[in-house]
Amino acid sequence: MTAETIIQSLASGLLMGLLYGLIAVGLALIFGLMDVVNFAHGEFLMIAMYASFFLFAYFALDPLLSAPLVAAALFVFGAVVYLLVVRFAVRAKANTGMVQIFSTFGLAVLMRGVAQYFFTPDYRSIPHSWLGGKTISIGGIYLPQPQLVGALIAIAAFAGLYFFIHRTDFGRALEATREDAGAVALVGIDKNKVFALGWGLGAALVGLAGAVMSIFFYVFPDVGASFATIAYVTVALGGFGSVFGAFAGGIVVGLVEATTTLILPPSLKTVGIYGVYLLVVFIRPRGLFGSI
Amino acid sequence: MTITRRHVLLGATAAAALGPIAARAQTSEVKIGVIYPFSGASAQIGVDAQRAFETAAEIINGKYDFDLPLARTEGLPGLGGAKIKLVFADHQADPQKGRAEAERLITQEKVVAVIGSYQSAVAVTASQICERYQIPYLSADNSSPSLHRRGLKYYFRAAPHDEMFSQAMFDFFDALKKKGTKIETLALFHEDTIFGTDSSNAQLKLANERGYKIVADIKYRANSPSLSAEVQQLKAANADVLMPSSYTTDGILLVKTMAELGYKPNAIVAQDAGFSEKALYDAVGDKLEGVISRGSFSLDLAAKRPMVGKINDMFKAKSGKDFNDYSSRQFMGLIVMADAINRAKSTDGEKIRDALAATDMPGDQTIMPWKRVKFDESGQNNDADPVLLQYVGGKFVTIFPTQAAVAEASWPMK
Repeated sequence: MTAETIIQSLASGLLMGLLYGLIAVGLALIFGLMDVVNFAHGEFLMIAMYASFFLFAYFALDPLLSAPLVAAALFVFGAVVYLLVVRFAVRAKANTGMVQIFSTFGLAVLMRGVAQYFFTPDYRSIPHSWLGGKTISIGGIYLPQPQLVGALIAIAAFAGLYFFIHRTDFGRALEATREDAGAVALVGIDKNKVFALGWGLGAALVGLAGAVMSIFFYVFPDVGASFATIAYVTVALGGFGSVFGAFAGGIVVGLVEATTTLILPPSLKTVGIYGVYLLVVFIRPRGLFGSI
Repeated sequence: MTITRRHVLLGATAAAALGPIAARAQTSEVKIGVIYPFSGASAQIGVDAQRAFETAAEIINGKYDFDLPLARTEGLPGLGGAKIKLVFADHQADPQKGRAEAERLITQEKVVAVIGSYQSAVAVTASQICERYQIPYLSADNSSPSLHRRGLKYYFRAAPHDEMFSQAMFDFFDALKKKGTKIETLALFHEDTIFGTDSSNAQLKLANERGYKIVADIKYRANSPSLSAEVQQLKAANADVLMPSSYTTDGILLVKTMAELGYKPNAIVAQDAGFSEKALYDAVGDKLEGVISRGSFSLDLAAKRPMVGKINDMFKAKSGKDFNDYSSRQFMGLIVMADAINRAKSTDGEKIRDALAATDMPGDQTIMPWKRVKFDESGQNNDADPVLLQYVGGKFVTIFPTQAAVAEASWPMK
């Protein structure tokens, strides 16, 4: 094992980790806002990747250009999902928790089925984007440009989200609703609007991640599954409901995953992630930055 | 209406009266179970497989002027012209679901035989269920060598397995070495289910026997979100030949990651799977000029055997794709099974099994480059000659063995 290998692993892990964080942050936001786990989070990622793919295939729009469009479309989609599905699920009188789980889980299965029906299960990928396959090499360390730009976008998105939550009226309404949804109704804030906004934001963030990922990953109806699992671990590790926790959790997961393979065989690389996860959950059940 | 004993009795009588009709009706139709992934990560394989099986059923059930068993007659003459009916089941690449679906096909759908299954891991469980119910199972395209070594009586495979495929690869290396090409070190890269594991075991054994040095043997987790750590290790090993055993998703990610991390192997000799899939070449074909993959099919054969081209056209009309290594073997799987049922003149599992065991189909009556189809005691056809194909200018050409080759191998790859 050379120093070069170690640095390369850390660099790859950091880039991937920021992306994991970007995928997870929407999940954390929605959970923090209304205690609902979106089990269709991976499928949100999937449709974002398809959207990015089709914009490229039919309009030759590079994923970097279409990323804001995809994020905006996902924003609308997320808000609609809240208004049409989740709003009713959380109102259930009996077994509310179960109803929430099955409504988003059912949505996930439905989205996968619809995607398979319309897009076929074939693997698509964007062959020639501006950044696709390009790499920066610094002293023998390779930094793939798609992941590098993805990481920068992730950092920008985190900063933007932080600013939005702490510096705008909408953000304050978001925070207040999260603290006490009953009380905000008394001061005239429509909690449905705030929740819809939260779902929209969460979906937009994962939409951004999907657009970036379409540059270097393949798309097919089940693509969300492997990333969603990591996103749930990331959120639990970073702390439920904490946006900053998802950011930090993502980085931890990425780094642990990359360094595990330096010691263990690659087929065991998730062992490291789940090991750290278990350790954190044992010592600090609320996660690294969790407040609940 | 309350249910009285009389009603129950009436119902039972009606059912008993209908029974013989149903039994008689069955003989004009022979149900064969086809168990493939129709959803999940390998769903496209299942969708394409369905078209391949339907093409074979069309040829068996209709009249065609091909020198292929059952093509010139309608249905199965041995069973009074009974037609083949395919019952498709989705195993989602999950061995447990495969087990359950095989059981359902046999007990509920009353299929007389089962064909599967793309993933070898599923073939293991599905064929065990078939054995228990004494229903023949035919591996159309499973390539793990361990499958026919389990002492099963009802298991058959007309196609080559990975040891035969790997042998062809090492024969090819030996031939290149003789001509003065430098091939000393190999890097194995394989996924962690039975397909990848068996494949790498076969390759490890052959490398030791023939004096090649394995400089990396990387077992990775299938469907990983990232392969950068794995590729780094391959890059550090920098072997003369990279030998991947990967399904399509991992194959695409492998090739993309190799390009990103600046690793350009001298040569890639792949164990088929993802590397015979159109989706992979659509995604990263530009980085794969000169890649070599093993196969059991090549469209080159159409030049010598025109029916191959015509049957390929039939398949293409349904699927929009040419036959590849998988769809061709799936097609042949049904032909071999239907031929045995026809000779058995029965839908009884044991009789079909005996007919399969007695199969002797000459190679030129297939669409494959095989010598013939004849099973040994373990149910394996040892006369299914594999070929090596090279991806040149957007299509595959046969480069090995010499008697089947239409072009010289270009080595190293570009």
